[in-house]
Amino acid sequence: MIYLDYAASTPLDERVFEAMLPYLRPDGFHGNPASTHGPGFKARGAVERARAQVAALIGAEASEIIWTSGATESNNLALKGALEFRGMPRAGRAVHVVTSRTEHKCVLDTCRQLETQGVSVTYLKPDAFGIVSPEQVMAAITPNTCLLSLMWVNNEIGVVQDIERLAPSLRERGILFHVDAAQAAGKLKIDLQSVPIDLLSLSAHKIYGPKGAGALFVRRKPRARLAPQMHGGGHEQGMRSGTLATHQIVGMGAAFEVAKADFDADVAHLSGLRDALWSHLQTLVGVHRNGPDGSTGQRTAPHLLNLSFEGVEGEALRASLPEIAVSSGSACSSATAEPSYVLRALGRDDELANASLRFSFGRHTTRADIDTVAAKVIQQVGWLRELSPLWKS
Amino acid sequence: MPMTFEDQEADPFGYGTRVWTLFNEAPRAGEFPEGEPAVVTGQAGTPAARSVLRVQLKFDGDCVADARFRAYGCPTSIAVGAWLAEWAQGKSVAELATLTMKQLRDALEIPDDRAHCAMLGEDALKAALKVAHHPS
Repeated sequence: MIYLDYAASTPLDERVFEAMLPYLRPDGFHGNPASTHGPGFKARGAVERARAQVAALIGAEASEIIWTSGATESNNLALKGALEFRGMPRAGRAVHVVTSRTEHKCVLDTCRQLETQGVSVTYLKPDAFGIVSPEQVMAAITPNTCLLSLMWVNNEIGVVQDIERLAPSLRERGILFHVDAAQAAGKLKIDLQSVPIDLLSLSAHKIYGPKGAGALFVRRKPRARLAPQMHGGGHEQGMRSGTLATHQIVGMGAAFEVAKADFDADVAHLSGLRDALWSHLQTLVGVHRNGPDGSTGQRTAPHLLNLSFEGVEGEALRASLPEIAVSSGSACSSATAEPSYVLRALGRDDELANASLRFSFGRHTTRADIDTVAAKVIQQVGWLRELSPLWKS
Repeated sequence: MPMTFEDQEADPFGYGTRVWTLFNEAPRAGEFPEGEPAVVTGQAGTPAARSVLRVQLKFDGDCVADARFRAYGCPTSIAVGAWLAEWAQGKSVAELATLTMKQLRDALEIPDDRAHCAMLGEDALKAALKVAHHPS
């Protein structure tokens, strides 16, 4: 099996695994980080070290990192918490949020939930490459806009939004800016000292850390305040209660430290693999790259390649590649389910949105993997086209 | 019920082993050469529904001497085409006309949420038989 689904989840890095072990062993560091005794202090020390490691990758202060269970929770806390702290929505007061149609489901569903509370939400339509321009965002701003939520790297197509250019304009207008960076951390340089983002969501398992761990960056100056969505012992500066999962947090910290140390090598490796696979697969006719192709000056993430194949049905395409673990845009278990909403938002028709594959690469992917996958995809697309009564070569 | 590791080896996406084997092997996939005598063609489905099945039956007298299929669609609909082309061998028009969707579903163990694939098979065969009854 060749695993090309690193954008869905990554395996633990060996160094991360080793760092976590002492906190998992029965005879290891089991103390509650909130306890005021030896074992508690040890655990607390590990948690604070990890906080600094996470902060270091994104140019933040350790005190600006709030632990969560993952990016979904971070996104929920950022959006709901920010509005609730500001007393919104409140009867008689119009509240407006701006986001895009191609955000992760956890942002879109949170926005839908906020709509049921009376918040009005604008879902911006990206261009054919998936880009939401800063001009488009600023044009959507109204006097009631209090928050913008935009992902840095799209998880399906890898398009990189121009967050750096957008952030200062929002700061100038006093609009809170939340960025989902689950796919961006370790793949793009992030420096929150120079980019005035207020809230930024992170995940551990997209970057060779453990599942079930995440963080929310909450800026201190100017302070981006949040109302907690999880009430309890007042952990995490009162923003997120619950006993900290020491081993997971240590793993997340180690993963971010490794990502910082290996950043240049990782990016060079990943973009090399992406370009090699694209170069191989362009020998097929009727292949479309979803998202920027790099030729137009737009930025794209190094670890991801999303392609649509004409003349094949998406579910059959995925099933014809059982030895490759890859994500598919097809609706797999129901005759009525819709193909990828992200690709539809880019203007792809249902057929091409359905017949898409997302290849995503990682540290363990090799050139030989890419050569094998390319040959297999070319063979199977050819076979399915030959099988189709509609295909005219 | 979740699949066991053994199930995943034999049928990694949980289509059922009959569908999985026919999808992978696709016996009798293809078309008869244009102008081949005594061949009738039936087609069902639409590209918009991402499901099109074409069945060709070559008759020797009243019986099917050989059959072919082509399909655009999910693995189950491809398996339905392969099963039909195999099943039709040696059958008379009267026998072919007895095929029901239920028979197809039973033979391939097609679940409820894939019933439309079996219907596609029945429709494609009916379309072919219509031509067999009224050859142009």
